[in-house]
Amino acid sequence: MSTSRPAAQAAHRAGDTASAVIVGMAAVSAFGRGTGPLLAGVTVGEPAFRPVDRFSVGNRRGGVAATLPETPDLLDELATVTEAACQQAGLTVPERSGTTLLLAAHGDPRLGRTAGPDRATRTAAALAGTVAVRCGLAQPKAYTNACVAASTAVADAAAMIALGRADRVVVAAGYLVESDQFALFDAGRALATDGQVRPFSTDRTGLLLGDGVAAVVLEAESAAQRRAVAPLARISGWGRSGDGYHVVQPRPDGAGMARAIRAALDRAGIGPDELGYINAHGSGSAQSDVAESAALHRALGRYAAETPISSTKSLHGQALEASGLLELVVTVLALRAGRLPVNAGYLGPDGDCKLNVVVDNGQTFDGRYALSLNAAFGGANTALLVGAA
Amino acid sequence: MTAPAATMQMRQTVPDLEVPAGLVILARAYWPEPGDGTPPPIPGFIVSSFSPLVAEVARRCLAAEPTVREVPSTADGAAHAAGRRTAIVLASRYGDLASAVQVAAAVDAGTRVGPLMFFQAVPNAVAGHIAAHAGLTGPIVCLSPSADPPAHTIALREALAEAELLIADGDADEALVIVAEQAGGTGEPDRAFAMLVGRLDAAAASPGRTAGHLPAQTPQGGAG
Repeated sequence: MSTSRPAAQAAHRAGDTASAVIVGMAAVSAFGRGTGPLLAGVTVGEPAFRPVDRFSVGNRRGGVAATLPETPDLLDELATVTEAACQQAGLTVPERSGTTLLLAAHGDPRLGRTAGPDRATRTAAALAGTVAVRCGLAQPKAYTNACVAASTAVADAAAMIALGRADRVVVAAGYLVESDQFALFDAGRALATDGQVRPFSTDRTGLLLGDGVAAVVLEAESAAQRRAVAPLARISGWGRSGDGYHVVQPRPDGAGMARAIRAALDRAGIGPDELGYINAHGSGSAQSDVAESAALHRALGRYAAETPISSTKSLHGQALEASGLLELVVTVLALRAGRLPVNAGYLGPDGDCKLNVVVDNGQTFDGRYALSLNAAFGGANTALLVGAA
Repeated sequence: MTAPAATMQMRQTVPDLEVPAGLVILARAYWPEPGDGTPPPIPGFIVSSFSPLVAEVARRCLAAEPTVREVPSTADGAAHAAGRRTAIVLASRYGDLASAVQVAAAVDAGTRVGPLMFFQAVPNAVAGHIAAHAGLTGPIVCLSPSADPPAHTIALREALAEAELLIADGDADEALVIVAEQAGGTGEPDRAFAMLVGRLDAAAASPGRTAGHLPAQTPQGGAG
């Protein structure tokens, strides 16, 4: 149940001209560069996990991740996708110079290996600043809140547009699998031990990391119409919440995530019966899949067990700070194509995760709305509701 | 810079800072205060002063705000949802630098990385610690602010702007805004500032709060 909102927020319904549409989109994943390979990858359903060759994993328990074959440079990849999204959106130089960039990243892995004043160039803020300069964008803002960093940035961008504070906002995010986070996840015994990510499945053993770099251009629908740019999709709703429960574990009853889901549906003015697909957070870890399932049942009632759901982390891996944006792009691509992404690695149903998991590839859907969920350490939750353009 | 001088610098800066329209300051707290040594350790966090620093300044800030916040029932999701949603906005340009340095050294030397380092690798963990202890159920947002000197002014401005956006957008009713930076070898000590902000209209409607004014500065570090 949501707290009552001021009347101004109640005006943000689908079709309101201050609502945000996506007019540019670009992505890089282990499936390759571009949204084409990404859509193909998630709809065919063959995971992109492979032995890690970017750094030594000899003294780690596991050695698998979803990576591109080479070792890309994070700054270059971010600048490239941001430029591509801005070009697809048809933004002029003056338009770009008045457009804020929100960027989600962990920061530069070299930060811990740099001393003195050079450290200033190794922060997430510095990354955002350089990408903004390269792409001619303004007022960069860097989000570092882990696995909800990118999705929080999207929600903030949609809010800025809905509140009439910006005509358009660019959101970018990037994570490339590297040695330090890999070592940390391995030390924390969070990584899967069988080379697969099995969201909502029996015998799931944990998560695997994956490359993800993406950018989207969000714009007020009225501004997009003035510029005669066709929207790819709309951000019809969003929600952000906190569990207030534990340092890292989610609330087992899903109450915090349920509030984020309800907030997203309420902002869109739709009911759970209108959801065509759910792109889950679905990390594939023992506890968080159960908590997410509980959240879905709490928020969607009987529709939790009916709405097709998949976690594409089972295919492209967990892209940490970029996961929210990579998965938003997947959700938009799926909605536009009418094709359901696969939940790979599924061995069989888990009694605590009574969901309609998309196990087979080749399935279609014709819903107008799809939901993308993300959760992170600290009990942070986000829900992004994508609507057909 | 000495600890008292760092505190003086922060105290001089904050009153000059405009709080975004529509918000009121409910409480604030600083680290270091005169007499502060190292922040008290918190369970589950090791090696680095970053998380203890953030947790302590948050604790002081929440202790300074007189209204007792209803801790949501963990059994009843409805009570959980109906409570006041307090966001946490944590702005730190470098984040937990000491932990990043330690992990990098261990990785490069091929030595063991401690499992607890995994949790504290992102600022969300200390935010979650604060949220769990204080029953805060709003969004958690962490930022790496752009910085021109004086750095904490920029950081505070960005963090307050984020708090204002979350509240105006309707996902939070209040925000605990924290700015923190570890000593980085530039002569400044570990320093942090926390501010609890809420809606101006809600504060005016609530007995016990004076809209538009700071509560009287309570002695720091002594309250429960």
